[in-house]
Amino acid sequence: MDAGTRFLILSLDGESYAIPIARLLEITVARAIQRDPSLAEVFEGKVEFRGAWIPVLNVKKIFKLPGMPGTTLLVVTSGKGTLGILVDAVTDILDTEQRPAPLPKGVINPGLHYYKGILRHKEKLVLLLNQDELLS
Amino acid sequence: MISSYLIFHVAGRLFGAKLLGAIEILPWRGSRFVPLSYSYVEGLIDYRGIIYPVFNLAQQLGLSRPGPIGFTAEKKKQAEGRNIILLEENKVPFGIIVDGVAKMAKLEDATLAPGKAQGIDPAYVKGIAYEDDQEIMILDFERLFHAD
Repeated sequence: MDAGTRFLILSLDGESYAIPIARLLEITVARAIQRDPSLAEVFEGKVEFRGAWIPVLNVKKIFKLPGMPGTTLLVVTSGKGTLGILVDAVTDILDTEQRPAPLPKGVINPGLHYYKGILRHKEKLVLLLNQDELLS
Repeated sequence: MISSYLIFHVAGRLFGAKLLGAIEILPWRGSRFVPLSYSYVEGLIDYRGIIYPVFNLAQQLGLSRPGPIGFTAEKKKQAEGRNIILLEENKVPFGIIVDGVAKMAKLEDATLAPGKAQGIDPAYVKGIAYEDDQEIMILDFERLFHAD
């Protein structure tokens, strides 16, 4: 029987987002981030992870959210390799059999694939991030 | 054919939405913000198991009173006190922010004059109805919010 899916609930600028836990490698405090001018502007820099350098993404910059880059670092696997993502906090774990609802038509340019859908968590709507397309 | 319309105010003008099935009128409430959404999208609300996108009709029609430059943070405050109307067009549910709901009215479909609404893109207007010498614009929501 399908045991459902587990999601990590994280916050950015006071709103909740989710990523599937199956894609999560590590949660740490963001530190020792090295600047790397060869990376695009949406990256804060790079960190060493299990003996290799991985790029660290400032999601707030992609989403045009205000505030400093998040201080919690999530290391995830994405279609473009291992990636660090800065978030404000990890707030919960959601173990659910919900299937993410699609984003309604007319909300976002259909050429943008930042979200895989919408989940309900504690009577709130949570946007499920598409970590494979955050760099699109 | 006579149809029922919900008549509401936006930016000092009267607009009508044809009643097809249920329409919900809610007091203004915060909605779930979606980063990088279209500028006239207020957010998403979850109401009775349906996720509705909420559109800022005044902004999409270009009727918003322009505020001082750099005052976007006031946007939420402006919306408070208003209503959100939940509608559907072609079975697609959506919500719009209105300044207030005026009334329900029965209008003769055939009397809708072709759109020549001042200051509004005629492509968004299905027709204009007149009642008590007041002009009521009937909008084409599908065109307004599903241009893509």
